[in-house]
Amino acid sequence: MSQRILDFQDVDAGYGGVAVVRNLTLFVDAGEVVALIGPNGAGKTTTLMTVSGFAEVLRGTVRVLGRPLPKLRRAHLIGRWGVHHVPEQRGIFYGLTVEENLRLATRHGRVDLDRAASYFPVLESLMSRRAGLLSGGEQQMLALGRALLSEPRLLMVDEMSLGLAPIICEELLPIVRRMADETGAGVLIVEQHADLALEQADRAYLLSHGDLVFDGPASTLRDDRGFLDATYLGLGGGEESAP
Amino acid sequence: MILGIGAGAIIAALGIGLVLTYRSSGVINFAVGAVATYSAYVYSSLRTAGTYPIPPLPNPLAIAGGPSLPTSVRFGSSVAETPAIAMALATAALIGLLLHLLVFRPLRYAPVLGKIVAAIGVMIVLQSVVLLRFGAQARQVEAILPTTPVRAFGATVPADRFVLLGLVSVTTAVLWLVFKYTRFGIATRAAAENERSVTLLGFSADWQAGTNWVLACTLAGLVGILVVPITGLTPNLLTLLVIPALGAALLGGFSSFVIAAGAGVGFGMVESLLLIMQQRLAWMPKLDLVDALPFIVIALAMIMRGRALPSRGAVQTRNLPDAYASGMSFRAFIVLVLCVVAAAIFLPFDFRNGVTVSLIGAILCLSLVVVTGFVGQISLAQMALAGIAAFGIGSFVQNAGLPFALGFVLAVVAAVGFGLVVALPSLRTRGANLAIITLASAVAIQYLLFERTGWFGVSALGRKSVPPPEILGLYFGPSTRFPIGDSKIPQPGFGIFVVLVTAACCLVVTALRRSHLGERMLAVRANEHAAAAAGVNVRVIKLTAFGIAAGLAGAAGALRAVQLGTYSPGSFDVLASVSLLVVAYLGGISTVSGALVAGSLFTQGFWTVVTDRFTNFGTYQTYVLGLALLVTLVTVPEGLDAYHREVGRALKRRWRRPEPPAVVHEKP
Repeated sequence: MSQRILDFQDVDAGYGGVAVVRNLTLFVDAGEVVALIGPNGAGKTTTLMTVSGFAEVLRGTVRVLGRPLPKLRRAHLIGRWGVHHVPEQRGIFYGLTVEENLRLATRHGRVDLDRAASYFPVLESLMSRRAGLLSGGEQQMLALGRALLSEPRLLMVDEMSLGLAPIICEELLPIVRRMADETGAGVLIVEQHADLALEQADRAYLLSHGDLVFDGPASTLRDDRGFLDATYLGLGGGEESAP
Repeated sequence: MILGIGAGAIIAALGIGLVLTYRSSGVINFAVGAVATYSAYVYSSLRTAGTYPIPPLPNPLAIAGGPSLPTSVRFGSSVAETPAIAMALATAALIGLLLHLLVFRPLRYAPVLGKIVAAIGVMIVLQSVVLLRFGAQARQVEAILPTTPVRAFGATVPADRFVLLGLVSVTTAVLWLVFKYTRFGIATRAAAENERSVTLLGFSADWQAGTNWVLACTLAGLVGILVVPITGLTPNLLTLLVIPALGAALLGGFSSFVIAAGAGVGFGMVESLLLIMQQRLAWMPKLDLVDALPFIVIALAMIMRGRALPSRGAVQTRNLPDAYASGMSFRAFIVLVLCVVAAAIFLPFDFRNGVTVSLIGAILCLSLVVVTGFVGQISLAQMALAGIAAFGIGSFVQNAGLPFALGFVLAVVAAVGFGLVVALPSLRTRGANLAIITLASAVAIQYLLFERTGWFGVSALGRKSVPPPEILGLYFGPSTRFPIGDSKIPQPGFGIFVVLVTAACCLVVTALRRSHLGERMLAVRANEHAAAAAGVNVRVIKLTAFGIAAGLAGAAGALRAVQLGTYSPGSFDVLASVSLLVVAYLGGISTVSGALVAGSLFTQGFWTVVTDRFTNFGTYQTYVLGLALLVTLVTVPEGLDAYHREVGRALKRRWRRPEPPAVVHEKP
């Protein structure tokens, strides 16, 4: 039985005392890729921000590697537990070079730059370039490369497809899958473009307006387009059209 | 030239302190020189008197006639050198820690401008503590470093200059290595760009910023202690050296320790070279080139290096308070003007003066509302532009004998002309860089125009005067007898004139905000790229704004000249420009009502008069004001006007159905 990396039990979470996601029960085990999908405003990003300590847990418990989350003001501690969060804007530093960005992967120890290059060969020739000058796809590769070097137990990637050509996304997602397979990290990917994510994911959670409306194998959603479309377009959604 | 090494080393050290703070917390620490001064005074006090000063604290007992708090702690008759240095450095480090925890950490999401204003506030507080505890008397401090004369390149120089230079070089090299290669350094640079992303990586941005504040302040303290034996100890000397240090930091783009240090040393050398040349060469102009020239060089360098639009990958962090359009009807405005006219006639003389000062201050702040509030360009030269008009009206009316009205108009035109020149760097630089270049322009204007004799300069006595104003045979000077009211000075005639000019200026700025031109200005403020893409000519907008702002500043300057009658360059110097920005920001930098609030906060303005009537801060006034400024900034980072608006809206919500306010939202 693989280890439980992330565990939400009946959680309400949000900002300033207002819940954005409600009654969320969700888990990620080591080595699996879990897709969190849903339309705009569903609460996907808030879920990730809750884990990273930037959104409040209002009810229920969130455990990372079996430990409850630290207090909000000490959000940096979560990064030290082996949680790596690639935020929507990719979280790379435009003023630093590619190499310097990669060197920030961990707080201690040597950073193996070649390892990043083995996953993303294009980074090798860009090491001394300022990250602000990279293309969108290269920036995303840099963000994922840095995630890889931090040797995460839990990797969370928010909206990888944002601002990228679909073809680049199709290339990047299998690499994320490979990272999960090779390192045994649990991966939680947030996507609006459900098709891309569902192809690589083992399991999926579908959120709509802060409520969990589906929880099960990714293949189920892949095969039932009608349910997915209904949720995205806000046509009834919910249980009545569920399989 | 070697003689300038000492001065150069100080400028360089303060310069790298500035770079260090900026890179770790995005704050331009105007107070770095003041921290050096304070540490030096602590050291000197421990060595000579064995006392450690305690800054003034609020003392409710004193009001009731109770005992006053102690001003210092005594450690025998004198403290030995090493413990004294250690205590002074610990003080500097503590100041750094407190600044981080109490001021700049709460302000980390405030607009860039808010942080600049806070840093200036800190400078004011530290300087007033120095004045309160040690007085303005210059002190001699015995040397710490060896002063044996050394012969080098044909000059004899005490050895301590070289020790200082070596110290600065080593510090620079260490900082360079740390920021380039260690993870702490890289993470600090990353945190300056995006704090949240660094936190996601497991770094505590807060801890890093705090560490760097402590480092930078300790460095400044060390410089202070080591250089005062050379320079002598006065409250202003090191505090004002922050200005060339800012120039040096700017040349290094606020990111390169090496360039900042090199430029600092260079400044020191060029200054001493210029001094020697002025003494030896007959043809060299005897202007105060020494203070102005480095700045002209910087301004040119920045203009050549800068770009018309922010380059790709540049981080844009600008977030100024909302620029509300005034919702007041014209009729209500007329009533308000009449009320103020009545106040200017019937109030007691000290209040009459307060009203006049406040209104002139409000016009000055309006000029910042246009250039900073509407277009987002920080200008620290507005007081210098006001000075152009002040010295201009003196030259035109007193010296050339022109009629007052014509002289007034010409003075404003001259201010606009200089304003357009000051605006040129804004076409290719922005943000904090522009702020410092405009500061440089203010220095240049002060030394190259005001402090020499002739047009736009002083008369032989170092002052300038202007005769009482007269239009069509009607005299209305501050001391011309007015038919109504008491006979005390100032007489209401001039006050009424000021009210009318202020009203006109308010109308102009309100109309500007409501016009299409105003909308384009706000577009430039929000995003230069997007504005350019939408067909707005960014350059023309910036020049127009600077021109209008200079006109407003000029009007205020001319009025101020008439109010004072006789004045010196000190009224329009760099510090006046800097404090103007502080007051304007505190009031509310992006609205007309904010400018009026700010005007009332001016020294000798309405609030000063009111507080003087009912309280007695006496010598503590600057100190209390500086602290009040910091407290206000930390609690209301967007200025008092935004706060009043919040309160107003909350009251409205309670009593009435809410109306959608006319808001221009600006996304960071």
